[in-house]
Amino acid sequence: MKELQARAHELLASGEVAAVIGYAAGTVAGRATPVIITKPADASSLILDASCVNNLAVYLLRPEVRRLGKVAVVAREAAIRAIFVLMQENQLAADGVVIIGVAIPSPGDIPAEPRLLPGRTRDELLEHLKRAAVPRPDAPAEDETGRMSDAERWDYWRRQFAACIRCYACRQVCPMCYCSRCIVEKSRPQWIETSPHERGNFAWNITRAFHLAGRCVECGECERACPAGLPLMKLNRVLARHVREKFDYVAGTSFEGEALFTGFRPDDPDDFTR
Amino acid sequence: MPLKISTSGVAALIRKLSETGRTVFAPVSRGEFTDFDRVSTLEEADLSRVNTRSSVKRLFFPPTEPVLSFALDGRRVALDELPPAVPRTFVVFGCRPCDAAALPILDKVFSWDCDDRFYLARRAAGTIISIACTDCDDACFCTALGLAPDSAAGSDILLTPFEDGYIVDPCSDKGGALAKACRELLGECAADRAEILRAVRKKLPPPMDLNAIKVWLDRHFDDDHWRNASFKCLGCGCCTYLCPTCHCFDIVDEADSRRGLRRRNWDSCQFAQFTAHASGHNPRPVQAARWRQRIMHKFSYYVDRFGTRSCVGCGRCIRSCPVQMDLKHQLKGIETQARGDRKRR
Repeated sequence: MKELQARAHELLASGEVAAVIGYAAGTVAGRATPVIITKPADASSLILDASCVNNLAVYLLRPEVRRLGKVAVVAREAAIRAIFVLMQENQLAADGVVIIGVAIPSPGDIPAEPRLLPGRTRDELLEHLKRAAVPRPDAPAEDETGRMSDAERWDYWRRQFAACIRCYACRQVCPMCYCSRCIVEKSRPQWIETSPHERGNFAWNITRAFHLAGRCVECGECERACPAGLPLMKLNRVLARHVREKFDYVAGTSFEGEALFTGFRPDDPDDFTR
Repeated sequence: MPLKISTSGVAALIRKLSETGRTVFAPVSRGEFTDFDRVSTLEEADLSRVNTRSSVKRLFFPPTEPVLSFALDGRRVALDELPPAVPRTFVVFGCRPCDAAALPILDKVFSWDCDDRFYLARRAAGTIISIACTDCDDACFCTALGLAPDSAAGSDILLTPFEDGYIVDPCSDKGGALAKACRELLGECAADRAEILRAVRKKLPPPMDLNAIKVWLDRHFDDDHWRNASFKCLGCGCCTYLCPTCHCFDIVDEADSRRGLRRRNWDSCQFAQFTAHASGHNPRPVQAARWRQRIMHKFSYYVDRFGTRSCVGCGRCIRSCPVQMDLKHQLKGIETQARGDRKRR
């Protein structure tokens, strides 16, 4: 934690960044809160522990943050991946953000202490992700929806989506949901019904998941934020698995080159692209 | 002598209500949390939680509701005003006093410039049996807003846990009639309510200076406070949708080429689109303006218009906010600034 505070202090004091986005002790016991600091003296309020769960990459494209100038962000492994996707999608310049990479171990991991990653450059951080096997090859274990028949799966999601109230917390916490106008807000015509009924909720949740295929870094923020308790990561993981199996592609494991669905090849075997 | 009902008496009451054609709603388990749903027995209810995830609001003002149907009829359009889809009579069992207190607050806006037939039909059909709180969590702050774990506002009957049942306080004509109708289930008891609630009261925060907060708000519409206070807010609608008093809605038409429905859906002042004009202009272009609106509406505008604040301190917005926009903490911050202002004057 001291290391992190020193690094934030140095970045602000030297003028290298205008603000540092990190975690501070929350006002609700046991929960850290995102914080944006601009004064070197405030670096001492930064914390790093298991309660630091938010994916802070979500703040980088917000207009309020962009207006500040260059910022540094405390980035857990999923946030580093999210930043790499944003760079690949040309939303962030290579030198547009200072990544303060951190590792917050899960219970049982060694070393057990939350720590600042030694690497500072993108290459070093990418190297860390590879070494630490992030994403973990064993992580996206098949859940029960994979073993269901189509009819059972449809029924499962119908019951789940029935609870959706369309608060869009899933979208707002997602670093990948940066469209300035989301498709659900496009009303001429209204492509996706805003009513929280079965049709509207299916259209919204399925579209949201599809738009994240090959882009979702599996940080789990959407599921954590959902007040209706929807198991949204089950959808996201299925898509991530298909993307890996069919295209040998894992989102956020590169910061350059073509993103999965942004490339075009004249020799594409599918003719609908031509 | 206060009235009393045993737990088996409550079970018999719920059975009796549902057998006589009344829909009963109660908190039921959804795994990690509880929400209101239909029950026909007490066993189906889960009364162990501090509060339900969503508020009782949705039983009176549902997230989506058809209000009008329309269809092409030759060269004309046939319009049909739809009746509210309301159970004839229903009982909400086990809501918390904060949720019950939200209903008289909502009554004001839904019977203000026009009578909202959907909301008011449900209010007429619904009876509220609330249960006083003997526990709270970090987010609860009803006492900061002048309410209490056993406030009777909005309840028809208030139950207070006591021994193997509840003290029964009918607090409206509806509640009195229901207590009369189930007289055989009631007994008498000598209970010290203050003693029952002593522990929870100790855990709850002291009253805030809400008048000072309002004065400060009225003088600080343009203030850096809003930008600083809202920096981490991501602009989702969690707080407003779970809030028992937030009541903004959107009207949408959903149709194919021949016929369709006009619906009323929940909407949120925290969405960028909420105030977007057709011209492209948005009077609340940044999240700071939207967060300010939420606070102003609850603690200033609603007071001006209806003489009451539209917050009951249930703490749902605090519990569910993904980035911990903590309303209680924010109000305390404003209260501190208000005191500073007062000293300077």
